[in-house]
Amino acid sequence: MSIIINSKTRLLVQGITGDAAQHHTKLMMDYGTNIVAGVRPGAGGSEVHNVKVFNSVLEAVEQQQPDTSILFVPAKVMKQAAFEAFDAGIKKIVIVSEHIPLHDTMEIVARAQQVQATVIGPNTPGLISPGEQCKVGFVPSSYYIPGKIGVASRSGTLTYEIVSRLTEAGIGQSTCIGIGGDPVIGTPFSKILKMFQDDPETEAILMVGEIGGTMEEEAAELVQKKEITKPVVAYVAGRTAPPDKKMGHAGAIIAGGRGTIKSKLDAFEQAFIPVAKVPGDVVNLVKRLIL
Amino acid sequence: MNLREYQAKQIFARFNIPIPAGKIAKTPDQVKQIASELNSPVVLKPQLVVKKRGKLGIIKFADTPEIAREEATKLFNLIIKDEPIKIILVEKKEAIQQELYLAVTIDYSKRCPVIIVSRRGGVDIEELAQNDARQILKIPINILNGFTEQIDKQIQDFAGADVADYIQKLYTIFRRYDAELIEINPLVKTSKDGYIAVDAVLNINDDSLFRQTALADLRKEFGDIDPIVEEARANNWTYIDLPGDIAILSSGAGLTMAILDLIHYAGGAPANFIDTAQIDEEGIYNAFKLLIKATPAKTILINIFAGLNRCDSLSMGINRYLKKFPLDIPIVVRMVGNKEKEGHKILRDAGIDPVSNLEDAVKKVVEFSKTKS
Repeated sequence: MSIIINSKTRLLVQGITGDAAQHHTKLMMDYGTNIVAGVRPGAGGSEVHNVKVFNSVLEAVEQQQPDTSILFVPAKVMKQAAFEAFDAGIKKIVIVSEHIPLHDTMEIVARAQQVQATVIGPNTPGLISPGEQCKVGFVPSSYYIPGKIGVASRSGTLTYEIVSRLTEAGIGQSTCIGIGGDPVIGTPFSKILKMFQDDPETEAILMVGEIGGTMEEEAAELVQKKEITKPVVAYVAGRTAPPDKKMGHAGAIIAGGRGTIKSKLDAFEQAFIPVAKVPGDVVNLVKRLIL
Repeated sequence: MNLREYQAKQIFARFNIPIPAGKIAKTPDQVKQIASELNSPVVLKPQLVVKKRGKLGIIKFADTPEIAREEATKLFNLIIKDEPIKIILVEKKEAIQQELYLAVTIDYSKRCPVIIVSRRGGVDIEELAQNDARQILKIPINILNGFTEQIDKQIQDFAGADVADYIQKLYTIFRRYDAELIEINPLVKTSKDGYIAVDAVLNINDDSLFRQTALADLRKEFGDIDPIVEEARANNWTYIDLPGDIAILSSGAGLTMAILDLIHYAGGAPANFIDTAQIDEEGIYNAFKLLIKATPAKTILINIFAGLNRCDSLSMGINRYLKKFPLDIPIVVRMVGNKEKEGHKILRDAGIDPVSNLEDAVKKVVEFSKTKS
């Protein structure tokens, strides 16, 4: 098993005719992802790597019944594309693009809550379930092997760096998910941790966080409250970075003293979550958990 | 992008939020002139990016136009945190009965806009939030519903109809201009005129500037544009200047931060970094060039994890740069991923001894940075 995506996932690629989308459509199919349709307004009736292209998400849904969509759409029109997917009844969308206006992301997140859809991203390499031979996004699949560690990360390349070391040590993964590097994202750590908790194949969870925001603290609280009982290991990048003062008074009032590296490490400590100081420590910490 | 106070106030005025009478000045004589026109005691407010100007002691009061000119002369000679004072906002000094704090910003945890109203404004608002939370009202907003009657009523009950009206206007500006933060601190209750926004903050989301072109142009008023940062941005890279002596070229924010941590642990200090997205041969050539142009450094670390791109083509980009612009400082290239062996061979041909392990690469580059040149 896995979370969010598996071998039965029926994937739609929105914006399939773009160069990057075509390239990654091929790579996803080669890995085993079941891509059932593409969308590009005006290109209906054509094909990309033998995948049928439709003019609208609604048409694609009627003809091919996709349940998940990946959006290779420019940041400027992402909101419209995401809303089109929601309106057509798609319940899982993955937004890989970065530089989406924050207000648009907030609207996408609010709409997703209304229609009870799951949004992964923005600004994510996507996700991969190695045991299910399914990937949605552009994660380099050669670094991943099937196994029992669920990985959730705010970062792309840092995840490859860490997961490649797990894989080298023979430690496989159930699902690896990039939750997105933007300050507002669809699905924060806390929700992913609950999904891993409910996934019978996942035995332990690795969380790769960063300074800024309060997602790490919220996830640690769930562990402390025993809502998450599976073992969790964490790594946080940016421990030596100067604190971000960008948001001034209002940010401090909202964060209420959270969001700093200290508050993250304190939260992990209170929840008895071991924290790797450097990427190289992650493998040993994970090994200790699963033995 | 953070607007200067006077720029934010110009927008406030357009939305009928009252601001003090005043004008901007670029010389002491202009300051004197404006003070004469205002015919009242004035306050001089340097227009800088730095916050907490009050605590820095650079907000000045003057009872006469001549004193205003003298104070301005001193201010125009100051450089505050690398930023020279070029523009001073000269405003009528307001009589203060009560100070409030109003803001609309983003609650990153709830992932929605949030309204903040405090019945007490002023500089130590964060402490108030910690110590006397009853003075502060926080309302998360469903962005699809906007500023509803219910929210209006809630604010009216807390701070009165005028404040609710100003908050509604702030919310309108927040949405209209893709703001990350809009703030009035303090909103001052004056003796007879009702309220006045004595200070104004308006920070715009950089990713929205493509549709906020009028605001994007405001940056030019100050020459705030750093050409290195702009060139990086144009390529979808991030460039950050730091105080140390190791220049870094890496990809991905998380991995780049992890490298900065490792360098600090090893006793080194980064001079800057360029965080590129996935790049190709041409991309790394240009990023390398920008990195060298940006800040002088004692050594360079290039980190490549080629998940989807290829080590061989990236090595060729590095080689091409080094052939054209030979370096006089040592360089460490850590390179793993697709076509790693081929990439390493190309680097060796160019006289670079590539490293595979990240920690080893960091150790090596920190040693270089410690070597006396």
